[in-house]
Amino acid sequence: MNKRALMLLMPALILSGIVFLLPFLWLFVTSFRVQGEGSLLMAEGFSAANYARLVSDSYFAEVFFRTIWMSAAATLISLVIALPMARQIAVSAGRAKGLLLALILVPLVSGALLPTLGMLHLLGPLGVVNSILKDLGLITRSVKFLGTAPGVIIGLVQAFLPLMLLPLVNALSRLPKDVEAAAETLGAPTLIVWRRVILPLIAPGIIAGSVLVFCASLTSFVTPQILGQGKIATFGTMAYQQASLVLDWPFASTVAVVMLAILGLGLAIGSLAAKRLARRPA
Amino acid sequence: MLKKLSTALLAGTIVLPAAGAFAADDYSGHTLVVGVWGGDIERLLRENVAEPIEEETGASVEFVLGGTGDRMARIYAEKDNPTMDVAFLNMYEAPQALSDGIVLPPDPESDMYKAIWDGMNNGCYAMSLVGLGIAYNKNIVPEAPEWEDMWDPEYNGMIAVAQYPGSEGDGLIGVAARLAGADEHDPDAAFEKLQGLKPIAMTYTNLDEVFAMMDVGEVAMAPMISGYVLSALKEHPDIGFSFPTEPGPVLVRDMLCLVKDSPEPELAKMFAEKALGVANQTDYAEQIFFGPTNSQVELSEEASADVIDTPEEVESLVQLDWPYVIEQRSDWTQRWNKELLEQ
Repeated sequence: MNKRALMLLMPALILSGIVFLLPFLWLFVTSFRVQGEGSLLMAEGFSAANYARLVSDSYFAEVFFRTIWMSAAATLISLVIALPMARQIAVSAGRAKGLLLALILVPLVSGALLPTLGMLHLLGPLGVVNSILKDLGLITRSVKFLGTAPGVIIGLVQAFLPLMLLPLVNALSRLPKDVEAAAETLGAPTLIVWRRVILPLIAPGIIAGSVLVFCASLTSFVTPQILGQGKIATFGTMAYQQASLVLDWPFASTVAVVMLAILGLGLAIGSLAAKRLARRPA
Repeated sequence: MLKKLSTALLAGTIVLPAAGAFAADDYSGHTLVVGVWGGDIERLLRENVAEPIEEETGASVEFVLGGTGDRMARIYAEKDNPTMDVAFLNMYEAPQALSDGIVLPPDPESDMYKAIWDGMNNGCYAMSLVGLGIAYNKNIVPEAPEWEDMWDPEYNGMIAVAQYPGSEGDGLIGVAARLAGADEHDPDAAFEKLQGLKPIAMTYTNLDEVFAMMDVGEVAMAPMISGYVLSALKEHPDIGFSFPTEPGPVLVRDMLCLVKDSPEPELAKMFAEKALGVANQTDYAEQIFFGPTNSQVELSEEASADVIDTPEEVESLVQLDWPYVIEQRSDWTQRWNKELLEQ
């Protein structure tokens, strides 16, 4: 990069440093502080006590594993739902494709809160789903979605499905149409065409979408808080509880730092997988 | 010429202090920031306190609505450069905020301090009195329940709790400990007793949520703070509220705090005087069932029956060792999540 380009980039780099890197650095430093005896203010000095607390109690390990498996489940379900949808969008032409893409983007731009509140009414004991099941005579007592892991996973899938769809639509749109036709001509049934031709070719899109959905689910706060009704603890709800209710910011910072480290790990694995795929001979 | 000059000077000496006095009362362009709960509390404070102040001074009053956690987080984070002038806190948070140098100590010489019942201005000014009792579905629980009824196997899986940490949860820990023959200083006894409430039907963050579940019969009982529930009951005929007797309800007191080094200390004091005044506190009691702390408030017999409004009544309520409770909060949050909610 030449000097001129670097100079032009400087304002953006400085802004990013102030807005993104400094808060991270502050969070990291705060995670090594502790509260004073009988005070909510931070005491002088540094200590690894918060990290020790985090690893010494199995409760936190359970919360971490729960968050990870729920995020993985949300990613897998999103992938299964998104594949046929993305395929349909990719093969649509002109206006229909534009309209379908716009519909995907609506939940993304409306933020997490509104769709989650909508889900609350959909999945609640008096919600649409339970009402239909009762009207059909399939149940007499409401099925509990709220306050359960499946309820939270449904919410996560609903919130982050567009993050899976967009890279898949992109990958499927670029897929040369004749390879599919060639496979079919050679007698491959549809399932084999998907497994041996389409899926390998759109693997980078699958990885990109999976990394996005997994990371977004891992750090999600609104969905587990509202649909989990305080009964499903995740990284996000635990950090909120410690910061805003217990007012133990140093410990909340420690939870956030560990969460960010896992996030970084997820991104690194995704990036490594994508690189390997790119190097693989066609 | 000399006479004209002296006349002008004399006029100046009269006019200037007058102009100064006028300026002292004119707060045009100033904004008082008040952190408080939303709903009826905000409505009453707006009508009885904010609007009169705006008319009298020209200042504007901005309400920042939310839970106490949000306010505590904000006033602590802004310790060196506060932007909030008045913060309503819970009774257990006020002494902590005072000892951490976040809020001003109540002024024992002020009229508003003297008007409040003795011993209630702990940390900040005492604003209102409520008790933790039990909201219940009248179709499922036929009579006003006692605390022990929540442990009746008939209602297993039908008890809701508020999110923890919070006044309701601390109160329930205190009650559970007392039912187990101890008090909150023995958290093992309390949490062991609480195990009997499992599985918890739901953790609620607002009344609408839990009332909806009660209306459909999925929640039988929930420990709740009297004021909010009593004022919401008119819309929910099937829900009742019980003040148990063994032990009694747990005292919960809202506090009005003046933030230390806040930008508008005079306006904050004016706000406190009106909020703690007889008119506002009477409306608090009559309209939203929050008991007055102002000893000069005289309530009708009907209004008095539903609120805690005398020091004698306060004495009959369970009072927790709040400084101890606060110290234990972090540990108890973990135990609550793990042992009661089975997270």
